[in-house]
Amino acid sequence: MFACIYVPDFPVEAMVRAEPLLRERAVAVLDGKPPLARVIALNEKARLLGMEAGMTKLQAGVFAEAAVPTATKQSGQQPGNINIAASPLPRQAVLRQRAPDQEASAHAALLDVAHAFTPRVEDTAADTLLLDLAGMERLYGAPARMAGDLASRVAAVGIEANLAVAANPDAAMHAARGFNGITVIPAGNEARRLGVLPVQVLLDSFEISAQEKNGGKARAREREKLRAQMLDTLERWGVRDFRTLALLPEHALASRLGPVGVKLRRLACGAGTRTLVLCDPPAQFEESMELESPVETIESLSFVLNRLLEQLCARLEARALAIQELRLRLQLEHRVAEEETTTIQELTGSGSHSVVFERALRLPVAMRDAKVFLKLLQLDLSAYLPGAPVVKIWITAGPAPPRSAQRGLFLPISPEAEKLEITLARINAIIGQRRAGIARLLGSHRQGSFRMDRFASATGELNPTEWDSSGEVPMAMRLFRPACRLRVHLSDGRPASLSAETAQHDQQNLQGRVLWSAGPWRLSGDWWTERAMDDGPWDREEWDIALAAGGSSAMGGEGNVALYRIYRDLATGQWFVDASYD
Amino acid sequence: MSSVAINPFSTKAAFAHRPGFSHRFQIESALGEQLASTLLLRERAAPLTVPTGITALDALTGGLPRGALSEIAGPASSGRTGVLVSALAGATRRQEVCALVDASDSFDPASAAAAGVNLERLLWVRCSREARVRGRKKAAMSHEQRQPTTFPFSAALEQVLKVTDLLLQGGGFGMVALDLGDIPMESVRRVPLTSWFRFRRAVEPTATVLLLVEQEPCAKTCASLVLRLQSEAIFASGPCLAEPPNARPDPCPVVPENNVVSHAALLHGMRLRAEVARSWAQRKPPRSAQTRFELRTAL
Repeated sequence: MFACIYVPDFPVEAMVRAEPLLRERAVAVLDGKPPLARVIALNEKARLLGMEAGMTKLQAGVFAEAAVPTATKQSGQQPGNINIAASPLPRQAVLRQRAPDQEASAHAALLDVAHAFTPRVEDTAADTLLLDLAGMERLYGAPARMAGDLASRVAAVGIEANLAVAANPDAAMHAARGFNGITVIPAGNEARRLGVLPVQVLLDSFEISAQEKNGGKARAREREKLRAQMLDTLERWGVRDFRTLALLPEHALASRLGPVGVKLRRLACGAGTRTLVLCDPPAQFEESMELESPVETIESLSFVLNRLLEQLCARLEARALAIQELRLRLQLEHRVAEEETTTIQELTGSGSHSVVFERALRLPVAMRDAKVFLKLLQLDLSAYLPGAPVVKIWITAGPAPPRSAQRGLFLPISPEAEKLEITLARINAIIGQRRAGIARLLGSHRQGSFRMDRFASATGELNPTEWDSSGEVPMAMRLFRPACRLRVHLSDGRPASLSAETAQHDQQNLQGRVLWSAGPWRLSGDWWTERAMDDGPWDREEWDIALAAGGSSAMGGEGNVALYRIYRDLATGQWFVDASYD
Repeated sequence: MSSVAINPFSTKAAFAHRPGFSHRFQIESALGEQLASTLLLRERAAPLTVPTGITALDALTGGLPRGALSEIAGPASSGRTGVLVSALAGATRRQEVCALVDASDSFDPASAAAAGVNLERLLWVRCSREARVRGRKKAAMSHEQRQPTTFPFSAALEQVLKVTDLLLQGGGFGMVALDLGDIPMESVRRVPLTSWFRFRRAVEPTATVLLLVEQEPCAKTCASLVLRLQSEAIFASGPCLAEPPNARPDPCPVVPENNVVSHAALLHGMRLRAEVARSWAQRKPPRSAQTRFELRTAL
């Protein structure tokens, strides 16, 4: 049993997948350089308007300016007399230039869906996939149910496709290309069901097979010519559908058309059989969109990002994967200033300078929620503005297995990973990057040596028995960042009084008589390094002091005593206070 | 009507001699079943509490209430950071995720880790004193072009309030601590009372402990527990003038004699006094409940 997924008017469907609002409009896709641009694909609504494949841009432009319903046109009415508002069709057709990136994304999405269903998939053409369903009945049920399941999965990635299930791949492909919706052909009924299809469907499918054999576009024009000749011959014979072709005698057909004729007849009977050429699932998850006009604001960009992220998440969902890393690339309209190009790569394609702005989000846990990604990208772009209007967008996902976490009634509370990421991104937008996270202590005797790491609620499992408290509660310290410079008066070699050199608001009490002191303890480190400033050698004498703090306490005391750790930098001789005991 | 807050079925005997009581009793008896929730005194259930990790404090306060705002107030070197770190250590040992909003960027991870805080489970938010201007172009503006702050530490306090809002809205934290210990009281008092009300409302339906460390209590009625701390004595090697634990404290904390050789002296710890200024467990006026405990140097 084989299934075929066929997407009619694939370039239009790829366009509509990126812009779902276009589904209600007449859409035609043009290909070629501007003077020679022609319509290569159009949807049913565009056909109803009277548009045809092969029209020039000028001809198609007439429908784009003021569309005229076909029925009205045939009746000979003048365009000015048409009540366009009463027409059920949209007033104007939409003309779009072909977007290879979007077609590639749509094709990759189809492949994702197919590979999620079965590993045996043939990538027959950009708009056609063949699936081997042998042995899948126990997993998905009867062929009709399998077809319905597959169709719903294809619809989930935003593509409307025809789907057919038959006993051999060619019959399934012809049925998918000839019948709309879902078609299930029981074994043995192929000739009867396919008999009503026009012979053009057979020639189109046959062309695909020839393309596979000949390997690409080199002979495309020649094949088109042969196809036209064959169609003309069959037309002159009065052969217009599969049934008529199947009734022709095989020997007579072979003598007139050669082996091609025999093969065509066998396909028309629905009796062809072959082995699928299997393909691997796409390794990269990327969605892209080229914008018709540059977008300047993040709000406007968000709509496009949302659509791309939804498509990306649907693809990953089809493959049962989640996103661990998200990379956003924006092609900008103009070159930005030199000082702002730290994260920008320059592309010199198509003879003109274009600049690509890149941002990457690395997530601590794999997620698959498009709304979360959109919010994270919005916050990130707010913090790091692209600096120029955006003309093209790429979003690439780094796939990872989804989280497998089981919650329990007796587990301690913890923030949801998705919410936590958004909260952290918002906090970073308020306080700045790398100022919120986990403090990791470094293996150094230097005071205050730590580094900030990204916070993730799922990290680190502490065994409750690991911490063995002796019952005593240790004193904590509060650090001065940066250390405050002091003026210290010594008496008998020990600090007698001190005052802060810079009167800051939180150090206004940092002056007075030293009531008690202990020290000095000489500490040094990093003397083996030659780095300057913060990472360089350090050498200091530390003192613990008790300082009489002014004012009265709220609990009735007339004065307070504060404990500080001060030190003298032996390299400069300066006194500093860097911590208080609290 | 005063009877609204009283259970009529339990006060029958007390009001039986008053005129008109029989009519009232009939009405209340008739409506009692339908409007039982209106006529009964609503006793708020005692909140769940978590221990601070200091036995004396837990015995005094019953622990820090979940879903409520608690304040720890005291001057410098009064042990407020020690209590905060001890509470954080307990929460992280219970596998809870905690957040510390550090207004003055004064948290010391080394001493916290020595006190038992699992830093892997602590989100440390380091606020800065200067207002952050968003966007790279704006960030490049000169210092003179920046908006002047309206009062000292206004930028840090603004960041603290915004970040706390986000953390409470996000939910899932076992403890959210706001460290305003180095922010002058004249600045902290400028925080609108509505902010504390908002925090209290946000934290009420959750199991989060919202802890505020400051120099003086500022959340007023929004706080379910207010604890004042004061140092009583400093312990050091050499002669120590520490008073007996139950003695009346001197106006000024007891400081060791300074006549020993300075490098022979060693700071051992502090004896602290804690007083409950407000508690969810006590009615007004608060009883004077005090206790003493010690913090020892760990490094």
